[in-house]
Amino acid sequence: MSTAQNTQLLTPALLARLERMELVSRKVFRGRLKGERKSKRKGQSVEFHDFRNYVPGDDLRLIDWNLYARLDQLFLKLFQEEEDLHFYALIDASESMNFGDPTKLHVAKQLAAALGYVGLCRADRVSVQALGPPGRHAPVLRGRASLWKMLNYLDDVDSGHNVSLYEGVKDFSLRNSGTGVAVLITDLMDKDGYESALRMLIGRRMDVFVMHVLSPEEIDPPLRGDRRLIDIEDGDAAEITINAYALQKYQETVKSFIASAKSFCAKRSIVYLPVRTETPVETIVTKYLRERGVVR
Amino acid sequence: MSLIPSLGNPLAWGLLAAIPVAIVLLYFLKLKREPVEVPSTYLWSKTIEDLHVNSLLQRLRRSLLLLLQLLAVAVAVIALLRPGAHGEKTGQGRSVFLFDTSASMQSVDDGETLSRFEKAKQLIRNRIDAMSDTDTAMLITFSDRPETVQSFTTDRARLRNSLDSVQVTNHSTDILGALKAADGLANPRRSSDVADVMDVQVADAKPADLLIYSDGGFQPVTEFSLGNLKQTFISMGSERVNNVAITAFSTERNTEQPSEVQAYATIANFGGADVSTTATLSLNGNFLDAASVEIEAGEETGLSFTIESEEAASLSLALDLEDELALDNIAYTGLRPLRNVSVLVVTAGNSPLSVGLKTEKTIKICTPTFVLPSYLQTEEYRQRASAGIDDLIIYDSCSPSEMPATNTFFIAALPPASTSAPLDPATATTDPSTQAEASEEPNGAPNDPTNAEVPANDNGNWRWASEISSVNLIDIERTHPLMRYLELFSLLIFSGRGIEGPPGTIELVGADIGSVLAIAPRDGFQDLVLGFGIISRDDDGNPQTNTNWYAERSWPVFLYNLLRYLAGAADATGAPSFRPGNTVRLRLDSSLSDLKIRRVGEPATKVTLGPNGVIEIVDTEVPGNYRIENGSELTDLFAINLFDRRESATAAVKEFELGYESVTSETQGVEQRIEYWRWALIAMLGLIAAEWWVYTRRVA
Repeated sequence: MSTAQNTQLLTPALLARLERMELVSRKVFRGRLKGERKSKRKGQSVEFHDFRNYVPGDDLRLIDWNLYARLDQLFLKLFQEEEDLHFYALIDASESMNFGDPTKLHVAKQLAAALGYVGLCRADRVSVQALGPPGRHAPVLRGRASLWKMLNYLDDVDSGHNVSLYEGVKDFSLRNSGTGVAVLITDLMDKDGYESALRMLIGRRMDVFVMHVLSPEEIDPPLRGDRRLIDIEDGDAAEITINAYALQKYQETVKSFIASAKSFCAKRSIVYLPVRTETPVETIVTKYLRERGVVR
Repeated sequence: MSLIPSLGNPLAWGLLAAIPVAIVLLYFLKLKREPVEVPSTYLWSKTIEDLHVNSLLQRLRRSLLLLLQLLAVAVAVIALLRPGAHGEKTGQGRSVFLFDTSASMQSVDDGETLSRFEKAKQLIRNRIDAMSDTDTAMLITFSDRPETVQSFTTDRARLRNSLDSVQVTNHSTDILGALKAADGLANPRRSSDVADVMDVQVADAKPADLLIYSDGGFQPVTEFSLGNLKQTFISMGSERVNNVAITAFSTERNTEQPSEVQAYATIANFGGADVSTTATLSLNGNFLDAASVEIEAGEETGLSFTIESEEAASLSLALDLEDELALDNIAYTGLRPLRNVSVLVVTAGNSPLSVGLKTEKTIKICTPTFVLPSYLQTEEYRQRASAGIDDLIIYDSCSPSEMPATNTFFIAALPPASTSAPLDPATATTDPSTQAEASEEPNGAPNDPTNAEVPANDNGNWRWASEISSVNLIDIERTHPLMRYLELFSLLIFSGRGIEGPPGTIELVGADIGSVLAIAPRDGFQDLVLGFGIISRDDDGNPQTNTNWYAERSWPVFLYNLLRYLAGAADATGAPSFRPGNTVRLRLDSSLSDLKIRRVGEPATKVTLGPNGVIEIVDTEVPGNYRIENGSELTDLFAINLFDRRESATAAVKEFELGYESVTSETQGVEQRIEYWRWALIAMLGLIAAEWWVYTRRVA
């Protein structure tokens, strides 16, 4: 257990900065409740949207009487509806995330909390959940007051839920039928592959963001000599003699892994966001994510 | 230039080749891999798969540690192979090293720090180092005698050990024995008769290189054929000489004044430059006198000192200079205490003899005792003869039944047959009946050559060679010490008989009837026999002169020589000098029991007296004064000196005659092995250090 995990997920200073932010969705979704987001629905906001002919049965309150006076025809004046946004932060809580200092899981929880808080402040429907069994009792939150509920949930999330990405996402999709923004925070290190999981999210017509969390130890491992590598997730062992050549090969592998993930995401309109754990969460959220258009 | 592999055994090669393979195997099979946890082996397994594509070579290529280990082992293997190079290989593969260990090899040439001996040793060692595994060699040293230090072997370590054990000697040089030793191995002879067609060569000829490491200083070897030996002469030292030597040093007492001693020395300059130095004379280790010496190049000079000493003394003469050979810059001699010799004269009456033994000069060194022939029968005589109390017994016209244990001089008589030969009672003078007859007829001495009726003593040892007749002298051996200063051709001899002695007899005076004076050795003693009497008896028994010798000046001189040389009085004047390494034989009083020998300045060692009082001393390697002591009393002394002009002439010979062909020095092109394996070992150590550094860096 690293020291970072004992620190609080969000500092007051960060909270103050997060309150001024807003989640950006590239798509317009239909919400459930009245909110602050532009919706596909036509409703009763102050923003004009369109005119259309009156058909019997329409609400008479929507008829533009000024137009009727000029043209002697009945037109309905339509306004933009504003609804809430569904925001899902999905945390990969597999054992592989419990690595590094701070651990990748901790960083993932911090990111989820930060983004979730942004959503809560904007009256969005926020659900922060870990993939796998803990996700089943994740609360759906709304309003700033739910921050503590969210943080309590995140505090309870720990590693060791070794479900594959696909299984976790499938479980999530079955439970949540709605659309919205989904941020998947993961290290993508699934021996079954991450592609099917992402495809499933896209299939739900969600606006998908992938935050690929990697620790510096993974990118440039401080290992030399004859080692027996043990996978902390499944106990799988691999014997290798780590020399400069092997390291170079590994780094090439990591690069190509990141490149293939990026390419996969780009082809499917998924926003791919590589995150290194040594970068402070404040920097990631206030600068990095803002530059990438995740928040504004 | 060629690499010399030292490992001839294929098994050894196999073992060496197996070492790197074993290291690689161990490297891959080694079980200790440090376990380390990683978030996922997902990416690593991809890397491993990638590595597997060209895994083995990549691993070998990229593993610096393994590479360094393999390199270190490879270099160690190379070092084991003892790589080296030499200029050219000797043709025969068999070498015989003839190593000169004579005194002149101690010379240190100008501008050199090593002696010739050390340099030669180094050259031979280089040769041995350059030998290949199949080459064989043997090592023979020679000084005045050859010694096979190591017979033929391929074992270089053994050759080196043998070479290390060789020490330089103070001896003179004689190469012939060493050549014969080498020749015996290279040129096998037929077993017996060359003309016999059935006789075949008994062994195969073994051609060999004969490598002579010497500075010369030996006589040309003419009676020798090299046969299968291919000689190479490596001359040690330079032709320019810088050496001054004492070539002679002796002392003699003045018989007139026994306390006055004359010391004579000869100093020779063998160098090419004039030398001016001082010679210091020491008596018993204390400074006594000094003289300045100036010698021109190639010349020699004499020095004489007059000193006072009544006692026995050890003298040494040292030249105060530094030259190539230090050994001959100091010489030793001893001074014996003056003593009288005891002479027993058995005669029926011989006035020339008694007068000659009682001259003013002889009486100082001689105590003669005159007895009648009848004394030979007494018990007193027997004891006296067997104990060797007398230094000389003169038998005038008579002969004992048994030879005494001392030197003898027979006048007109022959020594009896040896004790092993049966003595004819009819001719023995000791026979009682004959003795009685002799007493009745004084002129009828049995062996008197003037008496024709007396039969010759034909005993197989000494015998008469002719009948009685007049004697005309023909030849005189003037070089013998007994015959020094003698002029005998004016002698008149009326009657005498020729004599023949046992093997080893030296004729001193030859006449028309054969030898009339001869000397022969006998068990460490010497017998002198004169074939004619000094006086004879007429029919009435009155003495008659048989020769006019007693009236000549040579008679007392001869008797004086007799006392000096045969009775041993000459020894009383100066101690003898011997060459280093020679066996010294001395005759001492047989009753002495607690004998010790001591070189002056060294502790004494015990010696045992042999039969008849003869002592043999073999440990005479070091020059110096040697004293033989009985308890605390000095019994005898002698000196060991180089006194060898060939050795002192240290100019290195560049050419010498060997079997009628000239052998020229080949100082150039001495094969020397250049060793590379030491560098390989250093490289290996460097590689191991580098490997350690890489290892610690990696682990840290």
